[in-house]
Amino acid sequence: MKAQGKEGVVADKERVDVSKLDELTRRDLIKRAGAGVILVYGGLGAKSVAYGAPKYAKKELAGTLRILQWSHFVPAYDRWFDNVYTKAWGRANDTEVIVDHVGQADLPGRVSSEAFAGRGHDMVALLAPAPQYEDQVINHNEIVQEVSRKRGKMKPVAFRSCYNPKTKKYHGFPDSYAPDPVNWRRDYWQEAGFGGGPTSWDVVLRAAPRLRSAGHPIGIGMSNEIDSNMALMALMMCFGSFIQNSKAQVTLNTKATREVLKFARSLFKNGMSNEIFAWTAASNNQGFLAGHLSMALNAISIPRSAELSNRDLASKTMLAPIPKGPNGRLGLEHVMHTYMIWKFAQNKKMAVKFLADLEIKYTGAFENSKFYNFPSFPKSVRNIPVRLARDANTPTGKYKILGTISEKYTKNVGYPGFANAAIGEIFDTFLIPQMFAEVAQDKRTPDDAARDYQRRLGTIFTKWRRRGKI
Amino acid sequence: MITLREKLTSYAILGPFAIVLAFPFYWMLWTSFKSDQDLYNVENIPFSFDRKLGSPTLHNYSFLFHETQYLTWVRNTALVGVAVVLITLVLAVPAGYALARVSGRWGQGMGVGIFLTYLVPPTLLFLPLSYVISHFPLGGQRGLQDSLWSLVLVFPSFTVPFSTWLLMGFFKTIPRELEEAARVDGASRLATLARIVFPVSLPGILTVVIFSFSLVLNDFVYALSFITTSSSKTISIGIFTELIRGDVFFWQGLMAATLIPTIPLAFLYNIFLNRFIAGFTGGAFR
Amino acid sequence: MVAVAGPRQRSRGRRLLDVFEHERYLAPALIGPAIVFIAVLVGGPLLLSLYLSLTDATGGSLGGKFVGKSNFTGAWADPNFRRALRNTVLFTLASQAVVLLCAGLIAHALTRPIRGKWILRLLILLPWAAPVPLSTIGWLWIYDSLFSVVNWTLVHDLMPGGAHLYLYKIVNAVTPWTIQPFNPPQWLGDPTLALGAIISVHAWRIIPFAVVIFLAGLASIPSEVEDAAKVDGAVGLKKFWYVTLPLQLPIATVAVLFGIVFTATDMTVVYILTQGGPFNSTHMLTTLSYFVGIRAGSLGEGAAISLYLLPVLVIVAVLMLRFARKVEVS
Repeated sequence: MKAQGKEGVVADKERVDVSKLDELTRRDLIKRAGAGVILVYGGLGAKSVAYGAPKYAKKELAGTLRILQWSHFVPAYDRWFDNVYTKAWGRANDTEVIVDHVGQADLPGRVSSEAFAGRGHDMVALLAPAPQYEDQVINHNEIVQEVSRKRGKMKPVAFRSCYNPKTKKYHGFPDSYAPDPVNWRRDYWQEAGFGGGPTSWDVVLRAAPRLRSAGHPIGIGMSNEIDSNMALMALMMCFGSFIQNSKAQVTLNTKATREVLKFARSLFKNGMSNEIFAWTAASNNQGFLAGHLSMALNAISIPRSAELSNRDLASKTMLAPIPKGPNGRLGLEHVMHTYMIWKFAQNKKMAVKFLADLEIKYTGAFENSKFYNFPSFPKSVRNIPVRLARDANTPTGKYKILGTISEKYTKNVGYPGFANAAIGEIFDTFLIPQMFAEVAQDKRTPDDAARDYQRRLGTIFTKWRRRGKI
Repeated sequence: MITLREKLTSYAILGPFAIVLAFPFYWMLWTSFKSDQDLYNVENIPFSFDRKLGSPTLHNYSFLFHETQYLTWVRNTALVGVAVVLITLVLAVPAGYALARVSGRWGQGMGVGIFLTYLVPPTLLFLPLSYVISHFPLGGQRGLQDSLWSLVLVFPSFTVPFSTWLLMGFFKTIPRELEEAARVDGASRLATLARIVFPVSLPGILTVVIFSFSLVLNDFVYALSFITTSSSKTISIGIFTELIRGDVFFWQGLMAATLIPTIPLAFLYNIFLNRFIAGFTGGAFR
Repeated sequence: MVAVAGPRQRSRGRRLLDVFEHERYLAPALIGPAIVFIAVLVGGPLLLSLYLSLTDATGGSLGGKFVGKSNFTGAWADPNFRRALRNTVLFTLASQAVVLLCAGLIAHALTRPIRGKWILRLLILLPWAAPVPLSTIGWLWIYDSLFSVVNWTLVHDLMPGGAHLYLYKIVNAVTPWTIQPFNPPQWLGDPTLALGAIISVHAWRIIPFAVVIFLAGLASIPSEVEDAAKVDGAVGLKKFWYVTLPLQLPIATVAVLFGIVFTATDMTVVYILTQGGPFNSTHMLTTLSYFVGIRAGSLGEGAAISLYLLPVLVIVAVLMLRFARKVEVS
């Protein structure tokens, strides 16, 4: 990750050139040199230049725009966003844009304290929709409409993540989401006699014992962290088990749930090791990078890290859509990057404009995030398949599959319903990994778990329904 | 003076404990010089370096110093620590003295009362406190949000209760006759306080200084919710933001960032330990 | 030595300062600032939290509908809450037991004048000097699911050359546990081990502090007592039991009291090590309150969870403080 140095800078420059055609106005083109200097300097690591007194086209500033978001897992994305994109946008709009970063796990704490205090940044971005703040944020409908006029419809996965059908309000604006592919080691799977890779959950179950006895277990977490949540909820959907239906009623106590719990238990016993109960969000990455795991569900941070530190391993790492289950292929987004503009924001007007502008010309963000950020409005980036195919890493064209995954197999958390506040609480308190882990370790039978968690999730739904949010 | 047996027992006790207590730091030191490939190799011996894979390397340290604002965070932490210590002294020394002397039997009860406020967990306080700091009359539109001053304001809320209680005990050990002698000479109470009482209370004050400073270092929740501007971050939250990126931990950098403040501080604590002990002896057990 | 101007020369300003000569004014003037400060920054927020715990406040709202004690009863009905309550007590008591034992031993050994004491003391003080969030990250790496140095040491051959030394074989032979080298213990992935891991980190970070308090306590034992004990022929265990231990009790009480407060009100260690996992079995009240109240946005319920902690702590603290002083008086 860290061996970026000069290579990273060169790479950044190329990408900016691609994006510039879309991104920058004519006036900004004249100032390209200036941006380049900031870019190079930023690339060499002096992040503090970001807030230096910028020169603006007019003397009066329309104001300041403060944004809070995560430290992107691609460091180059933050450098581009903080030092190039927002600076250029700021000059074009006579606004000083200030971007602050906090680690993803620690963002919710800060966001909660801003909401409580009624003061803070103009807008904040979380990695999952946060419908619990619905009353504290503006209706983002305006942005959705503005972008829709130019770029057509928003993807259903984004719509169902940020819209509350009960209150008819957009409680956030997701600029992007990350598809959640399966990462698998081609060489290990070939040696185990399953060269086709994890095409279906049945194949995974059959390959798992051989993979594990070769020292390369399957890695699907059952721990208190985001990747476990995502992988297990996706697995459930492939078996036809859903937390809620489209009317926000809990539908956990079903045969499908019992089946998927049985499946996960047997997958754990035959093909995984105890490590999955101890995982942090970084563990499946590390296990994969160490050559230990044969398969993991994660966004593309695994191959991207490998490309920087271990090219050999990277070229053996394949991406695939979620395996097929009895109920077909239903995957989840890995990250739903959702901006929220506070009601108390000082500069709502520019915040709205910023998000609309960002989304309408999303190419720069897409490229600079190394295809991590997929636009919520698919037409905001032209020729996504061509761009994906252009990635130079071996085996060439391996990122193409991301296009298919994003088109066909990416659903929202809470599918087929909306990502409401109850779903958020279940997600944040890790009840789904808890259920799976208890069954996998034989602390409960699948029947008992399905029944008990139906009741526990029901309590949470009732609570939020009483509050008028579902 | 002491027998050989006593000496050997001491070593037998201290040796293993020192190893166990210091081991994590030894391990951090080792980790901090590893290259990514060496670190993420399950079979590699953790106690040696694999030269083929580029270890040992100073890369992680240069990354910390050149590509993050690490030094700024260290400076911020030190600044906040010093300011908090000063505020703590200004509030706690007079209060501790008064509770010990002037207000008689009420003093004890009130001292315990103040101590009890130290028990309130920060999880319960940080939301209301974030309201307080962002509506603080000074500091402009967003109050003290994202400013180091927010920490300077809030941290004494947990250093003052403890320090007052400790100093109260300490002042009780200073003989009243010392003050009365000065008063007979015509000194005012305030002058007595400044010229007689404080100088002899230095060990107690030193205890409060070290203790408050270490509490400041240990904070996580408050700094996390008050500060997002990179140049105003303290060490803990700074490295959490820059060295844990999404689902990638930069382990070596994290370890290096921990060692750099810890080792000099441990030296400092050790140098002042005897005086610290003297302060505590006076404070906690009288 | 203390030269002060006579009454005749006093200016008006001095006369103003005269109010401080009266105890009626002096005490409030000295205590006042601290009390006001604490009242504003702890008292106010605490009352607000109390109020929130009685409402259905969510996310960023400053209040909500009054719901009485339903947040408290709701939390009580949640098995994860009761587990967290049990864990809080367990973590606190177990880690303090370890601390008490280890710190007592270390402090006694440190009172003897031995060579190399300074460096030993430095090593022992290290955990205290490290900021807790950072040192806990160090522990996260030590207990990592795949790269744990503890596991490496257990399952790899430690002898260079032809000889073999596998620690796990020793463990398997001597203890009731069985370690499989291909499936090593998951320190943060098994509920029992994770409890142990968390307790060990808490004990580790508090031991140096407790050692210091013990040293202070030992220093406060008048040397006449030691001498008297020697004359009476009290040595070794006898001396420890009849002389040192009674004198140490108040010290131990103070050390334990701080340890309890540090452990029970801390959320950093669990938050960083396990986030409450595996399967929400290692939550403490503080972390559960954070995840329910802050992450998930059920603010009222989160406040209620935290508030369960407070009365227990207050009772414990008051009892211990009274005990500490009483023992000394008698």
